[in-house]
Amino acid sequence: MKESNAMPDKKITRKDLISVFWRCNFLQASFNYERFQNIGWAYTMIPILKKIYTTKESMASALKSYLEFFNTHPVLITPIAGIIAAMEERGEDPESIRGVKVALMGPLGGIGDAIVWLTFLPIFAGIGVSLSMQGNIAGPIIFLILFNIVNFGLKYWGIFFGYNSGLSLLKSLSGSVQSISKAASTIGILVIGSLIPSYVRLSIPYTITAGQAKVNLQTDFLDKIMPGILPLGVTLLILYLMRKKNFNTTTAIIFIIVIGILGSYTGLLG
Amino acid sequence: MFQALMLALISGLAGLDILVVHIHWHRPLVTGLLVGLVLGDVKAGLIAGATLELAWMGLVPLAGAQPPDPIVGGILGTAFAIITKQPPQTAVAFAIPFAIAAQSIKTLLYTAFSYFAHLADKYAEDGNYKMIERINIGALVFHFLLYAIIVFLPIYFGMDVAKNIVSLIPEKLMNGLAIAGGIMPAVGLATLLKIMLKSEFVPFLILGFICSVYLQLPVLAVALIGVAIAIWEFYIDRNRTQNAGVGGGENDEGI
Repeated sequence: MKESNAMPDKKITRKDLISVFWRCNFLQASFNYERFQNIGWAYTMIPILKKIYTTKESMASALKSYLEFFNTHPVLITPIAGIIAAMEERGEDPESIRGVKVALMGPLGGIGDAIVWLTFLPIFAGIGVSLSMQGNIAGPIIFLILFNIVNFGLKYWGIFFGYNSGLSLLKSLSGSVQSISKAASTIGILVIGSLIPSYVRLSIPYTITAGQAKVNLQTDFLDKIMPGILPLGVTLLILYLMRKKNFNTTTAIIFIIVIGILGSYTGLLG
Repeated sequence: MFQALMLALISGLAGLDILVVHIHWHRPLVTGLLVGLVLGDVKAGLIAGATLELAWMGLVPLAGAQPPDPIVGGILGTAFAIITKQPPQTAVAFAIPFAIAAQSIKTLLYTAFSYFAHLADKYAEDGNYKMIERINIGALVFHFLLYAIIVFLPIYFGMDVAKNIVSLIPEKLMNGLAIAGGIMPAVGLATLLKIMLKSEFVPFLILGFICSVYLQLPVLAVALIGVAIAIWEFYIDRNRTQNAGVGGGENDEGI
């Protein structure tokens, strides 16, 4: 950041952030297996993008990068949305924004699973169940009230927390655009490397029988040398096809559907 | 007929809640009460819903993987418990095939929804954010219909007929499309890598993969390792530029 940006224009208002809060509820409306919550993420951030990208061309290129792969926890989405909004307001470059987005989506997904799905949900449901079992109509009602204090409370708090901490962090890092981009890409790539084996599902549950010996290719062989080798391999194969063989996402998907159907009929893949 | 339609409506709307807004009235604990209201036995509905809630507790969507469907399981399980006057534990056994069918149809639906991602790409070219908003919300219609139909069939036609309808779907083809759905995220991740993965970042891809499959670290731990590396790199870079900036003179002072 140079001197001219030391006091950036306040383009984003409280109203925009609240609009993002409402929209984040529709993060998963068009959930798809190719890019998960990508359309919902663009949908969530449109109020911000409208403020920042005022020409058709700049809006087009912003939308394209917001439509890339995205997946996080549907409740803890707002801290990410807030930080990214702060970055957009300060005019950070698209590469840094992408890096920060990818670096945050995995960890917040994990934290959200642990806090919301595995802690609050079972505790509140447990309270509701104990009342319902006695035929008490308060069971479901108390469950809904308790859960939604957490659900909407976290979403609402997160958007302002993300935006404000994003702004102050960016101010303290100002003067090092290069480092932000590099740091974000480092963490982002690391996170992608760890997400591939859990997001991509592919196995070869095929059993080779040789006399008495039965060898299951997946559990007895692949899992012993390198678990997750198939998800990694298929991801790198598609990356290769895209970079070197001019595959676009549509051809890649057709390729995958053919593999899936062949794998199913031959019984090789699972 | 009216009751079947009402239950289908509840199921369709609950199907939306599992994807968006997340009020969580789609849990068996709550749908049990609603099914009880429709079928005229609130107490039985509450108890059946609570029993099914316990069965589904912990079966939550983690990292994009989908458990057997709690909505179809909860609504059909409670409905069967009330209609057939069976204990809910028995009733859930009837509901399970439909909960699994709902799950695999959902897998297909999410695979097919990749089409929407491509459609959105096309509108993005023109900066047309209004259409992207419409696509996002419009996709919910399919989700509503899926949940409404899968609950309507067994309630209206009876379980046996509905099971036959479900079994008409060619299993190998469905399975093949489900396998394809499992591989599909590789396309989204590969696209990200195509943009982000410069050769100097390849070590971090390998490191992240190792952390996950061999060390079984949660993704938060992996990100923290990334933070550590990023800070380290930051100081190395800064020292390098400072040394280069100050010039040779000061570096010689120790000699």
